[in-house]
Amino acid sequence: MSAVPSRLFARRPSWLGEFLVTERQAWIFVLKCMLAFYIAAWLSMLFQLEQPSTTMITVSIVMHPHSGMVLAKSFYRAIGTCAGSLCGVLLMAAFPQQRELFLLSLSLWVGLCAGGAVLYRNFMSYGFVLAGYTAAIVALPAINDPYTVFDSAMMRVSEVLLGIVVAGLVSDVVLPERLRQVLRRSAREHYAHFIDFARSSLGGVIPRAQMEQAHLHFVRAAVQIEDLRSSVIFEDPEARARSSRMQLLNVRYMAAATSFQSLHHLINRLQRGNHPRTAGALIKLYAPVGRALAPSPADQSKPRLLAERLAACEPTLPSLAAELREELRQDPELLLEFDSGAALLYRFVSELRDFTALEATLRETQGGFAGSVERVSFKRANDYAAPLVSVLRTFLTMVTLSVFWIKTGWPFGPNAMLLATIFSGLLATSPSPLAATANTWIGYAVGMLACYAVVFWLMPGSDGFLMLILVTAPLLALGPYLTTRNATLPGIGAGYTLGFVYILALKNPMVYSPEHFFNDAIASLFGLMMSGAAFMVIPTVIGTAWLRRRQLVQLRRQVTMAATAPLQGLVYSFESVNRDLFHQIVQFTPPDSQEQRSLLAWALAVHDSGRAVIELRHDMQHAELPPPVREAMQLAVETLGYLYDSPDRDRWQVADHAVDQAITLTTQTMPQARASCRPALAHLLQLRTALRDDESALAPYIAKVPESAHAP
Amino acid sequence: MPREIALADALVPGILLVYLGCLVVLLLIDTIVGRYGLYRYVWHPSLFRVAVFFVLFGAAGLLLYP
Repeated sequence: MSAVPSRLFARRPSWLGEFLVTERQAWIFVLKCMLAFYIAAWLSMLFQLEQPSTTMITVSIVMHPHSGMVLAKSFYRAIGTCAGSLCGVLLMAAFPQQRELFLLSLSLWVGLCAGGAVLYRNFMSYGFVLAGYTAAIVALPAINDPYTVFDSAMMRVSEVLLGIVVAGLVSDVVLPERLRQVLRRSAREHYAHFIDFARSSLGGVIPRAQMEQAHLHFVRAAVQIEDLRSSVIFEDPEARARSSRMQLLNVRYMAAATSFQSLHHLINRLQRGNHPRTAGALIKLYAPVGRALAPSPADQSKPRLLAERLAACEPTLPSLAAELREELRQDPELLLEFDSGAALLYRFVSELRDFTALEATLRETQGGFAGSVERVSFKRANDYAAPLVSVLRTFLTMVTLSVFWIKTGWPFGPNAMLLATIFSGLLATSPSPLAATANTWIGYAVGMLACYAVVFWLMPGSDGFLMLILVTAPLLALGPYLTTRNATLPGIGAGYTLGFVYILALKNPMVYSPEHFFNDAIASLFGLMMSGAAFMVIPTVIGTAWLRRRQLVQLRRQVTMAATAPLQGLVYSFESVNRDLFHQIVQFTPPDSQEQRSLLAWALAVHDSGRAVIELRHDMQHAELPPPVREAMQLAVETLGYLYDSPDRDRWQVADHAVDQAITLTTQTMPQARASCRPALAHLLQLRTALRDDESALAPYIAKVPESAHAP
Repeated sequence: MPREIALADALVPGILLVYLGCLVVLLLIDTIVGRYGLYRYVWHPSLFRVAVFFVLFGAAGLLLYP
C-alpha cells in the first residue's frame, strides 16, 4: 500500500516536490496567522477592550513560523510590556505639567531600550523593543489628559498581553512546527561531521585551508546549537529538563574540537619543520584512535559503541607512545615535541570519550536525568560600541520628533513618534538598516493602500464578525505569505502586515473617518522615514570594518583573559566567548578575502594558545611544583597575555624568551619532580610551537631567533 | 475570595491572581512531567498542556467564585 504514493512521489520532478513542501509550510503559517488575528480581535471585542487594533498589531509582531520562537518571544515580550507600561506611568506621574522634560526622558527611555535590543541579540532584544514601545503607546496618547494615563496603561497592557497569549497558543497548538526536531537533527549532523572529520584525518596532515574551513564549521555548529537550545527550552518541558546536559555536550564538543585542532597544528608544524619522523610517530599514535572511531559501517553512528571503543583504546596509548618514543632519534628537543603531541592526544581522546558518552546518554534516555550535572553556561561576547551608538541615534530621533511635534503643534505627532519608536528598536539590529527601512517602508505603504480599499469600499457594506473576516482576510493574508518569502523580499511582509493592521484600527463599533485615516497614514510613514533618516545621519556600526577590527582586538585579548582571569570555569567561558565573538565577526566578513584569512588565522592562534595557557595554569596549581619553576611559568603566562594584548616584535621576543626560559628550567627540574613537571612541560612546548609557527597570525612579529641553543 | 484586591493601592481583579497561580501550578506540573518524559504518552503535548491549564483555572475559578 505504501508503494503507490512513493512511486507517485518518484514520478514527480524534484523541484515540484520542493515547491509543494515550502508552499505547504507557507500556507500553514498564513492559516495560523489568520486564526490568531481573528481570535485576538474577537476576544478583545468580547472583553470590551478599547482598541482591538493594538492586540492585532501585537499578534502581527509576535507571529513567527517556528513555535519555539513565538513562546520565547512572548515570554520576554510580556516582561518588556509590563516594564514599559510601568515606566510610562512613572514618567507621566513625574512630569505631568512639563512636556519638554517628559518628552526628553521618554526619548531617553526609548533610546536605552533600543540599546538593550542591540546588546542582547537573542529573544531578550524583543523585550527591550517592546519596553520602549509600550512606554510610548501608554504615555503619548495621554499627554493632554494625564488623569487617564493609568486607565490607558491598563487597557494597553491588557490588549498587548491578550495578543501575546493568543499568538502563543495558536502557534503552539495548531499544527506546530517543532524547533526541537531541527535541534535534534542539526545536533546529530554536527556530531557525525565531527566524528567523520576526526576519523578521516587518519593520514595526519590536513592542509591549512581545510583546517580553517573545519574551524569555521565547528564554530558555526557550536553557536547554532546554543541558539536553538535557548529557544527550544521554551517550547518543550522535556528539552528544559535536558537543557543543562545539552549545554555540557556543547562545551565538551568545543573542548574536543580545540584539542583536535591543536594536535593537528603540531603535526603540521613538525612536518614543515623537517621532522617527518616525529610527525609520523604521532600519526602512528593517532592510528588506534582512528580505528576506534571506525567500527563496521552499520554501527558507525552509535555513540555508545564509540565511547566504549575509545575508553578501551585509551589505556593502550601510553605503552604505544613509549614504543614509538624508543624508535625515534634520541634528540631531547624532538622527544619533547613528541611528548607534548602525545599529551595533546591523550587530552583529545579523553575529551572525545566524554563527548561521545554524553551524546550516547542523551540519545538513550528519554525525559530527565537523575542527579545534577556541572552547571556550565554559554557566555556571550558583547561589545558596547554598537549599543551606545544606537542609544544615541534613537534618542536623537525621538528628541527631533518631539521638537517638531511641539513646535508645529501637529496633532498626529504622537503617531509618528510611536512608529519611529517601534522601528528604531526593530531595525537597530539589522546590519543594513537603510535597505531594511526602505523595504519595510514600501511594504508598509502597500499594506495601507490595501487597507484603504478594504476599509472604505468593502467594510461599509458588511455586517457582523463573519463578514469582517470575509472582507479583510484575502488582503490581510498577503502579509504573512510575504513574511514567509523573507529570503527574497526581506522586510516587505512584516511591513505590509503591520501597516495593514495598524491603519485598519479596528474598533467596536467601527469608526470611518477618511481624514483621520490619511493623517495617520502620513504620520506613520513620516515616523518610519525619520527612523530611516537617523540611520543615514548616524550609520550603524554593526558589520562595519571598524567594529570588526574592534572585535578582532577583543578576540586577541581572549588570550590575555585566559592568562589573568580566575581559573574557576575559565575553560568554558573562554571557549564559548571565543566562538561567539568569532561567529559575530565572520558573519560580516566578505568570504575569500584577505581579511577573512587573517581573521581565521588569528582565531586559530587565539584558540590554540589560549587553551594551552589555561591548561598550563591548571598544571601550575600542582602542589609539588618547585617555586622557581612556577615563577618562570607565571612569567611566561604573563608575557604571553601581554603579547596578545597588542602584538609587536619586542613583546614577541620577551614572550618567546620567557617561555623558553620556563622550558629550560622545567626540563632541568624534571628528574626531581616528574609528576608535576611533565604535563606542564607539554603545554609549554605547545605554547612555544604556537609562538614560532611561521604560518600563524603571529608570523609578522616573529623576530629571527638564534636557534643555535636548540638546533640538533 | 474578594473580587478585587488592592495591590499597592491599585485594584486588581482577584481572578487575575488565580490565573497567575494556575500558571505557576501548570509550570510545576510541566516540569515534573517533562522530567520523567511522560509527554511521550500524549498525542499532542501542547494541546494537553492547554487543556490541563483550562481544567486547573476553571476548577479554581468555579471553586473560589461560586
